[in-house]
Amino acid sequence: MKVELKLVVNGNTYTVYVSPWMTLLDVLRNELQLTGTKSGCNTGECGACTVLIGGKAVKSCLVLAAQVQGREIVTIEGLEGEEGRLHPLQQAFIDHFAVQCGFCTPGMILSAKALLDKNPSPTEEEVRVALSGNLCRCTGYVKIVEAVLAASEERQ
Amino acid sequence: MTVADVRSIYSRTLPKFEYVEAKTVAEACSLLTKYGGKAKVIAGGTDLLVSMRNRKVTPQYIVNIRTIPNLDYIRYTDVEGLRIGALTTLDSIEGSPIIRERFSIVAHAACQIGQPQIRNWATIGGNLCNATPSADMAPPLIGLGARAKIEDINGERVLPLEEFFVGPGISALRTGEILTEIQIPTPALYTRGVYLKIPARTMIDIAVVGVAVVLTLDSEYANIMDAKIVLGAVAPTPMRARKTEEVIRGKVIEEGLIEKAAQTAAREARPISDVRGSANYRKELVRVLTNGAIRQAIGSTS
Repeated sequence: MKVELKLVVNGNTYTVYVSPWMTLLDVLRNELQLTGTKSGCNTGECGACTVLIGGKAVKSCLVLAAQVQGREIVTIEGLEGEEGRLHPLQQAFIDHFAVQCGFCTPGMILSAKALLDKNPSPTEEEVRVALSGNLCRCTGYVKIVEAVLAASEERQ
Repeated sequence: MTVADVRSIYSRTLPKFEYVEAKTVAEACSLLTKYGGKAKVIAGGTDLLVSMRNRKVTPQYIVNIRTIPNLDYIRYTDVEGLRIGALTTLDSIEGSPIIRERFSIVAHAACQIGQPQIRNWATIGGNLCNATPSADMAPPLIGLGARAKIEDINGERVLPLEEFFVGPGISALRTGEILTEIQIPTPALYTRGVYLKIPARTMIDIAVVGVAVVLTLDSEYANIMDAKIVLGAVAPTPMRARKTEEVIRGKVIEEGLIEKAAQTAAREARPISDVRGSANYRKELVRVLTNGAIRQAIGSTS
């Protein structure tokens, strides 16, 4: 028996009909075609599925779609500015070579955004804690942390 | 260590179920009574969905209690102490000024659970009701003498949190009951609490061993007037290390005393060997963490 789900994603309102066992990740990728959010481990450990719900970083593979009725969700696609201009965090990731295969990147950027929105000038330790829920197998994290710190400095 | 521990197949999809939302505590309780063992409650779902993906748990009905209003709160009065609603997220607890100031061990435990994304979504009720022996919120709360308020369709009961844990994964909740509030009395003056946890690999893991030490000192900080020491992940449930408490209660603080307490705690612990560590390793960790936690509790300022 399908559940009628109204949600706001990246400022747009959607109404979808979902099976109760669909997760938010399933809905974003399969129903809304927003494939920037990735399905990695599906057990809530890797963070590739990270989205922002009410401004807070949450793993969408662990959220039943039915539980986000009426909530405001931001995915990586929502960071794009006017005329396709990149968000400062996205630009910083490019400038600092913080992207290799790119699979962890959307989740990393959203966790970083959640941090900077709350704490505009974090220490390196605070950045590492904020990203502790996002695993990267390519980069070794150094460039990612540098990119986040650079983006925070730029905002000042 | 069995093969079943190591080989776990996590399916891409969740098993099918019927979904219902509860709008009040009474509605949740009557739904749970009606469906009995076929239903599971969901709040954050950060543990539930994982155990559904490897088919450890396959409920026919899932009752969403997150839709019940007024169960997400942190309230403090000098008389009543601290009251935390069961649906309060771990990050709210971690960031709460009153908890950080007066009940810092609780905030310290919350910030050591999982990862930021988990803490933003998971609830204190879920951490306690899953009743895993390693539940990180349990040792600190038991150390502070917390109580659990449980409601069913007929009313409520309040139970010392120590009695809330019956066995691995088994809480004292009966069919049709839900946990609604955790009550923590205001600690006595000069009370200090520390929770130390060793995770299996990194910050994101379950505790291999967790130790909560809550000490009430005298005004000179020279004597230990009272002590509660609670060990996690080394017994079927979080356990009070009562013999260890007796070693230090009423004593003058000195070097030899702390080491004796740590060794007593290691002997009192009853860990099993599993994928995260052997029993001997866990006993040694209990010794190390008890030593460290007592020292930190004595040396800290709140």
